[in-house]
Amino acid sequence: MADTLLEVKGLKTQFISDKSRIPAVDGVDFNIHRGETLALVGESGCGKSITSLSIMRLIPENGKIVEGKIVFEGEDLTKKSEEEMYHIRGNDIAMIFQEPMTSLNPVLSIGEQLTEGIILHQKLTKQQARSRAIEMLKLVGIPRAEEIMDEYPHQLSGGMRQRIMIAMAMSSNPKLLIADEPTTALDVTIQAQILELMKELKEKFDTSILLITHDLGVVAEMADRVVVMYAGQVVEEADVHTLFEKPAHPYTEGLMKSVPTLEKEQKRLYSIRGIVPSPDEFPKGCRFAPRCDQAMEECLHAQPDLYEIDAGHVVRCFLHKTKEREAKA
Amino acid sequence: MSHLLEVKNLCKYFPIKSGFLKRTVRTVKAVDDVTFYVKKGETFGLVGESGCGKSTTGRAILRLIEPTSGEVWFDGNNIAELPKSQLRKARRHMQMVFQDPYASLNPQMSVAELIEEPLKVHQMYASAKERKEKVLEIAETVGLNRSQIDRYPHEFSGGQRQRIGIARALSLQPKLIIADEPVSALDVSIQSQVINLMEDLQEEFGLTYIFIAHDLSVVKHISDRVGVMYLGRMVEMGTKHEIYDEGAHPYTQALLSAVPIPNPKLRRERIVLKGDVPNPANPPTGCAFHPRCPKAFERCKQERPQLTHLGGEHYVACHLYDNESIGHRGKG
Repeated sequence: MADTLLEVKGLKTQFISDKSRIPAVDGVDFNIHRGETLALVGESGCGKSITSLSIMRLIPENGKIVEGKIVFEGEDLTKKSEEEMYHIRGNDIAMIFQEPMTSLNPVLSIGEQLTEGIILHQKLTKQQARSRAIEMLKLVGIPRAEEIMDEYPHQLSGGMRQRIMIAMAMSSNPKLLIADEPTTALDVTIQAQILELMKELKEKFDTSILLITHDLGVVAEMADRVVVMYAGQVVEEADVHTLFEKPAHPYTEGLMKSVPTLEKEQKRLYSIRGIVPSPDEFPKGCRFAPRCDQAMEECLHAQPDLYEIDAGHVVRCFLHKTKEREAKA
Repeated sequence: MSHLLEVKNLCKYFPIKSGFLKRTVRTVKAVDDVTFYVKKGETFGLVGESGCGKSTTGRAILRLIEPTSGEVWFDGNNIAELPKSQLRKARRHMQMVFQDPYASLNPQMSVAELIEEPLKVHQMYASAKERKEKVLEIAETVGLNRSQIDRYPHEFSGGQRQRIGIARALSLQPKLIIADEPVSALDVSIQSQVINLMEDLQEEFGLTYIFIAHDLSVVKHISDRVGVMYLGRMVEMGTKHEIYDEGAHPYTQALLSAVPIPNPKLRRERIVLKGDVPNPANPPTGCAFHPRCPKAFERCKQERPQLTHLGGEHYVACHLYDNESIGHRGKG
């Protein structure tokens, strides 16, 4: 049995105002093993980013974890004080975001930003921190590392900024790196560089990665296992090969068919009809039912559970309810 | 097949002004000597990374920004030299669809008003009644229903807003639509809806598209022919097959190999380019791609390669393929 690093159990994160409760994350379960890359896939509004922010306990205002556990190395992060979380973030769990420019401080030099975290979390002197920072910059493939230390974010390209973010995140040698759409804002040749770098660093430091993305190409390239989310819930989970070979949920299948690829020529793209429902008006039954070509009567009234159709392959769809019984029998 | 559009030696230079007197210190050659044609009824895809000049090319064709030099032949007229009074008439036949439909739709106008506006501007129909009927018809064509057309842009999702943008472009029955990243802001499941819509409309109305995008898979799907741009220059051009299966330029090859493929069995060796796209205000000498090119040789640093015909409809701007260097290197 693989060694579990993080366990998310029944996580519910809601945005609460006087008038409404918006269930952005609605009962999400998954595990991340040591040294593995887990991809969290879905379209905008499916709750994938709020799930990752819940793990970091960095949910935007009005947002609250109302139920569930986030167990990291045996300890429940939802029970931690702000003070304790402060030490976990940046030490054990680090995060990189889609747009590095918005997460870098424009008025501080790269060196100041890099050493700040190192001094804070690793209790090194200024001089030690500086050489550690330069070492990190070299590690992420930044040329002229010493000079870059004194430059500012606006002087660098998008790809370079993302490298800086990665250097910053990896400087404390975290056990878990959460990467939220790390290459979405980058050009494809630069994306290739960053993905290579992430793979290299993962091998080197044996870091687990939670990769949040909407890009199935990036998933196929990077992930060991995949969790597909739709409307605040997990709809399918499988190892990457099973998911791409035998997608079981009609949504997963639809997503895969609707992306044009370089590999195969399609006369006409498959398209999932309708639009993603917004969290304040989720359908009563299966949340995908109104857009599903295979929806049955019961899909409109009751919510399907997650059914295990094969070892490690779970699907939230009534079509597979019987398969689970067969698998168990 | 005849050419609907011919772009010859199109240039767009932006001056960088500096100092108290705002003197021009440098120029950014956003589009630098770009030549291509678009055939009637086809989709011409224009791909490249950010800053390669693909959007500027699209805009310069419509003169939404004034080209610095070059010719744009459309329907027997050189659009680049047309006086303003005639330009408006010509533009009726060439419309644009933008990336972010929300930014390009007036939030204070209802969908009906938005679709009607171009019809009014170009005085397309004699009576208001006729015009309103046409608006309904267009809305239905792009998949918006009657009950939706009195609503405002903020009430729609991204995909539906893009339908409104397409309806506006379509309302004037144009011959050419230039679509600048029309699906890149949309979710995957919505993206395919809009792509299918654009293909349906093309068939129904015999439209010609210039489809500008950075997503190579989308461009492959929708295009008949493709142009690849790098730092303001057209580096390769050909049919979809010639570009995607027989791409000749080292940049095209690297670009294609960088695209992650949604199939975990096909994790592959790729050509990872070193470095970033250079600053267009200070492009490298010779071939603009030479500092990143795995196959660059001495001549690439000095001399700018011209588009060479490789056969069929395939053109490439690379010294590896022009006769002079083949002979030269053969001897060496």
